[in-house]
Amino acid sequence: MSDLNLPRVQHVVASGCVLAVGAWVTYLSYTQQPAEAFLFPRLIATVFVVLAAWTFAKAIMGWTKVGAGVSPIAFMSMVPGVVVMLVYVFWAAKTLGFYTATAASFFILFSLYDPAPHNALKSWMKRVFATVCFTLVMYGLFALLLKVFTPREALF
Amino acid sequence: MKKLLAGAALALMAAAGMAHADGHESYPDRPIMMMVSYGAGGATDFQARIVTMTAGNEDALGMPVAILNKPGAGGRVGWNWLATQAEADGYTLGAYNVPHFIAQSIKGGVSYDIDSFEPIANWGADPAVLVVGADSEFNSLQDVVDFAKANPGKLTTSGAGLFVGHHIAALQMEKAGDMKLAYIPTKGGGAAAMKAVIAGDVMAGINNLSDAFRAREAGNVKILAVADLERNEFLPDVPTMMEGGLDVDNASVNFRGVMVPKGTPQAVIDKLAQTVPTMFENGRVQGKMKAGGSPMNIMTREEVQAMWLKRQETLTELLAGL
Amino acid sequence: MEFLLYFGDVFTPVNFALLLVGTIGGLILGATPGLSPTMAVALLIPFTFQLEPTQGLILLGAAYTSTVAGGAVSAILLKIPGAPANIATTLDGHTMAQNGQGTRALQLSFLSSAVGGIFGVMLLIFLTPVLAKWALAFGPSHLFWLAILGVTVIGTLDSKSVVKGLLSGCIGLWLATIGFDDIMGAQRFIFHDALGGGINIIAALIGLFAIPQVISMFAKGRQGDDAEVLQVQKHSVFAAIRELLRFPRAMGIGMTTGSIIGLIPGVGGQIAGLVAYDQTKKFSPEREEFGKGHPEGVIAAEAANNAMVGPSLVPLLTLSIPGSPTAAVLLGGLLIHGIFPGSDLFDNHPDVAWTFINSMLIGQVLMCLFGLYVAGLAARVAQVPQSLMAAIVLGLAVFGSYSVQSSMGDVYVMAALGIMMYFLERFGFSAAPLVLGLILGPIAEANFIQGSMIANATDGMVPYFLTGTLNLFLIAVVLASVAYSVWMEVRNRRYVSKEEIMV
Repeated sequence: MSDLNLPRVQHVVASGCVLAVGAWVTYLSYTQQPAEAFLFPRLIATVFVVLAAWTFAKAIMGWTKVGAGVSPIAFMSMVPGVVVMLVYVFWAAKTLGFYTATAASFFILFSLYDPAPHNALKSWMKRVFATVCFTLVMYGLFALLLKVFTPREALF
Repeated sequence: MKKLLAGAALALMAAAGMAHADGHESYPDRPIMMMVSYGAGGATDFQARIVTMTAGNEDALGMPVAILNKPGAGGRVGWNWLATQAEADGYTLGAYNVPHFIAQSIKGGVSYDIDSFEPIANWGADPAVLVVGADSEFNSLQDVVDFAKANPGKLTTSGAGLFVGHHIAALQMEKAGDMKLAYIPTKGGGAAAMKAVIAGDVMAGINNLSDAFRAREAGNVKILAVADLERNEFLPDVPTMMEGGLDVDNASVNFRGVMVPKGTPQAVIDKLAQTVPTMFENGRVQGKMKAGGSPMNIMTREEVQAMWLKRQETLTELLAGL
Repeated sequence: MEFLLYFGDVFTPVNFALLLVGTIGGLILGATPGLSPTMAVALLIPFTFQLEPTQGLILLGAAYTSTVAGGAVSAILLKIPGAPANIATTLDGHTMAQNGQGTRALQLSFLSSAVGGIFGVMLLIFLTPVLAKWALAFGPSHLFWLAILGVTVIGTLDSKSVVKGLLSGCIGLWLATIGFDDIMGAQRFIFHDALGGGINIIAALIGLFAIPQVISMFAKGRQGDDAEVLQVQKHSVFAAIRELLRFPRAMGIGMTTGSIIGLIPGVGGQIAGLVAYDQTKKFSPEREEFGKGHPEGVIAAEAANNAMVGPSLVPLLTLSIPGSPTAAVLLGGLLIHGIFPGSDLFDNHPDVAWTFINSMLIGQVLMCLFGLYVAGLAARVAQVPQSLMAAIVLGLAVFGSYSVQSSMGDVYVMAALGIMMYFLERFGFSAAPLVLGLILGPIAEANFIQGSMIANATDGMVPYFLTGTLNLFLIAVVLASVAYSVWMEVRNRRYVSKEEIMV
């Protein structure tokens, strides 16, 4: 029962979010100043909100045809990865320095999702080796070849 | 092979670690970044790349300068970034365009004004010119003025955006001639504004002297007047607006130069203010600038400070009525 | 035929070496996420300071052509389009790579790039005067209609549901309005400092395409190695050539659309690939197969975005107006040597002009040969286990989006958009129409505002936007495109409901 209805509930939530954003954008475009700069956003927002309402109505009625939603199993397995990603992008990259953060997140992600056993030394060696190689390639490409100066705050 | 790589990496890390050591005596000890608030390939970007090309020489800064483009909204995006987000450590410079950034700060809606930045030196001065298509019926400034007076608000005139040099020139023309133009700001800078003139989308245009000079060489436009105090060496045959009877001074001349965000250590500012003008005087720089049709006007930090203040005054007055 | 006289210049040892460096370097730079052709060319400009004008231009020309083609490599293998031009390539190319047909996809993409590219340069050589007039014919009103034509493509592009396709497009159009408004300079929807400069298109591309893919890999969890090992099928170059000949329609549509749209200043390159893809899909009898790894999709998209290279330089070389950001950078490369594009270039420096054009011609061939050579090897990327792949793609995405303008804000935007896109995709929205909206929004808006300013000063809105042959023609195409989409939707619906009844 709940399995059957899960995608439908999810669709309602998802299209509800889109509709909420649409409504908010519409509200902003009609209230912000200067009005002439918001002419085009108003036009878009109006179409946006109408389409979003239509999609939302379809989701409530259970008429949605495309999109499989996110299964609980898939959701649970992606959470750790997404958390690492968020920490990496929004905190570590700037605070620890790009190369440190990249190496660390690369290593953690690879270890988290690597199917090789977690209790064998050999597979850990492999992971460390891959991390070092990747960091070096990134350094060579971006720092040496392209001369991009990335944040190097606390660590390298 | 792997050993080699690892060794190389270690050496690199060591080198980078050393480069991190601080202190202003050794400034600069790593490459410097210069923000240009217009897109790659624009006149400001092009000139910025030329004037900084010798920065790596021993007699200049001794470190290369890399150009970082942050285009958008007539320069507002880049200068906002420089004023609020860039680190004031001397490794982030910015290119300024006067009167653009001053006019925008007077108009409001941005997080900078002349007190947000410290000028270093000026490298170029690019006057605004009035251009019309090669097959236009206008042959002199007088023709344009006559038409604009007879048809208020009908003379479509393109320019690179609102509250940039071109717009200032248009406003000054309107004020001096007591007439009304239809100023059309284009997205995509001077090149798009020039295209509109050549393609006949608009009847006239205000553009950079350097770009107009090139377009005239290619036989695409006629240049009717220069908005400056005297005629320009690149265009000795083109009269100034004043000669043509419009009281337009040099307030719209696009001065380009280098600045740093406020809060940069005084020692660094002094070092830059001393070195950068000599860098602009380099023979190779001068040669390339001349070849590219870009008029130079080297000014020191003190001269630029005075120029900024003067512009601030003129522009406040001009924009007061808007 | 003047260009033949200067062919020898391309083959002097130094020039040819530069051509090779430019081509191979360009392919590598193009395949790096975050490096668009414009940036790659801008990066090479300092090197040309030291060179003769001809040599510098050979380097830049070769790099330009091969970065455009190189963008297809990351689009196919990693689903990260190197530049907006390569978006359409991901739709079928990446699916092919996932099915183990990466070699085939890469071969087809390089071959069609080369054919399209040579066609484009030939147009540049023979039809420059005609093309220059055409490029100038597009004023604000025409560009506005052209953008609207692009918008009509949105609904049917890579989405099962027209409404959701349009809604994705609307989200993109809205995202494009974030930041400072370009003409008025007013602030719109800036609710974080990172958005002050608006949403950078390259960073958005990386986020919207790469991050959902990374998250889907996470969602699969710790899977056994054996489940994932993919057989990368061998595919001979001759088979690829034969296949290319089997789809002359895709090739033809790609080349024509690419060269016509590429010519138009300010719009060109970014949408050429997508429009060609959409047109090919509409004309193909196998249109149901598009998006599932159909070779026509790759051929049309890549033929179009390389065919655009030659014509996109026409406004620059003849009128001295850079029609695209890349052309603007090339202009800098010319000016630095005191060469003014325009009649001066062809009259006084024919050696520079023709050697430059020839180098793009030879560059296409070299690029194709080199690309075909590495295609088999590169396709192995699909065999990389997904745990490793997810980590690699994430790292590349972060570095790539940062390097666009050395801005942490772009990285934040990239990640935020990417995570949002993952969930949207799970509910039937798709990235391609969203990106198209993001690209077209500013074009439509700026030209509408500019057009209405001109119209108000002259003969009024209605005559300005709705009369004139070119306007009427474009409006007709817009209407035809809408009618076609509606017709397809109705037919599909009938088809689907019939199927439902049968089930």
